[in-house]
Amino acid sequence: MRKRRYLPAIFALAAVTVAGASVGQAWAYFTTYAEAAGGYTIRLGDRTEIREDFSDWTKHVVIDSQEGSQPVYVRARAFCGSQYELVYSGDGWTQAGDYYYYNDILYGGQETNPLDIRIEGIPETPDKDYFNVIVIYESVPVQYHEDGTAFSVQETDWSQILDTGSTEAGSAEDHGSAEGGDEA
Amino acid sequence: MKKKKKRMKVASPMVTVALFAVAMAMLIGSSVGGTKAALTYYSETYTSRIQMYDIGVSLVENEEEVSWRDYNSAGDGTWNEHTGVLLEHMIPEGESLVLGKTYQENLKVRNTGTINQYVRVSIYKYWLDSEGKKRQDLSPALIDLNLVNLGTDWIEDESARTQERTVLYYNKLLCAQGEGQSETPLFADTLTIDGSIAKKVSQETNKTGNYTTIVTTYDYDGISFQIEVEVDAVQEHNAEDAIWSAWGKRVAFHDGVLSLVD
Repeated sequence: MRKRRYLPAIFALAAVTVAGASVGQAWAYFTTYAEAAGGYTIRLGDRTEIREDFSDWTKHVVIDSQEGSQPVYVRARAFCGSQYELVYSGDGWTQAGDYYYYNDILYGGQETNPLDIRIEGIPETPDKDYFNVIVIYESVPVQYHEDGTAFSVQETDWSQILDTGSTEAGSAEDHGSAEGGDEA
Repeated sequence: MKKKKKRMKVASPMVTVALFAVAMAMLIGSSVGGTKAALTYYSETYTSRIQMYDIGVSLVENEEEVSWRDYNSAGDGTWNEHTGVLLEHMIPEGESLVLGKTYQENLKVRNTGTINQYVRVSIYKYWLDSEGKKRQDLSPALIDLNLVNLGTDWIEDESARTQERTVLYYNKLLCAQGEGQSETPLFADTLTIDGSIAKKVSQETNKTGNYTTIVTTYDYDGISFQIEVEVDAVQEHNAEDAIWSAWGKRVAFHDGVLSLVD
């Protein structure tokens, strides 16, 4: 009696085993794959500094870019009291509006040619306590066309707005160019 | 008269053994069929030319095979495979990545096996920090891998689309070499890193006495972009079931053209 009770189970096991053998074959499809990945690291940021020498009522201004900085364009201008006149000169500098633009891209580790700012209309006995000429400069990262050529300094947008991710766009701090300056 | 006891009839052990034997014979028979078929190809006095059914696929970047995985034609169960690096030659030596510049990045798939196949590609774009960890907060959309031939040769599985992933199916049969078109048309042709990432900054303002210091940090400085491409291939025979089994996607064929079934 006991032995007979196991017979259906044994049959079922045999049937499942046989069926399972053929199901396995049905699932064996030919497949393969290939994969590849790659990328590059983005380097952003620049640090520029202004250097000035003063002699013979002329400011000699040079702007340098630290090693490792991304390429930038720079522009500069000076302010003084209305009783004085400022006369600019320098190789590679071009006036457009109120600013003088350095024509070439300033790469990391390079510096501009000197921009000479001569102060004219100096009285014979100037009051040095009130004498004040301020030079400011701005830099902006070089942008590129789709073919990889750089925007010229004339094409460059000097009023780029930085995206801080906040809703307070357009504040003075969001100005896209970096500023610096010095005074005499 | 003594009452006869009614007894259950017990099966003979011989019957049980016989039933076992039948079950075993059925089991063994199912595998003997395959072995027998193989033996018909072999003879001591005659060698026939046997066509091996080897599947293989390669990812091709700018006409160079960069990664592949082909079943070894020796039939010894091994694979001839190589995983290369994408974008390795994109920037000439001595130069650095230029934001906004459009770089050539021609990508396609080649059948490097001996059987026809159907293929799909999965493209992943993402950013990694300096420690190699994925940055989910930076936008993959700024990594512009320009996809081409969409709708004509490649169809997108929109149900699989995420910000990071795009899955494309080649909608025609990719033939084995010598048996028809063994390369797909391009599915991508250029790569551009959006120049606007140079404008994305974080600013921190600190006040010390009468001075206010604003520190501006570029969000993408020191971050790496990554492009990852996976190619999957599956046999032509019984393709609908094979694709469902291997890729978990229902497809249909109309006049030999594959379409996705929602």
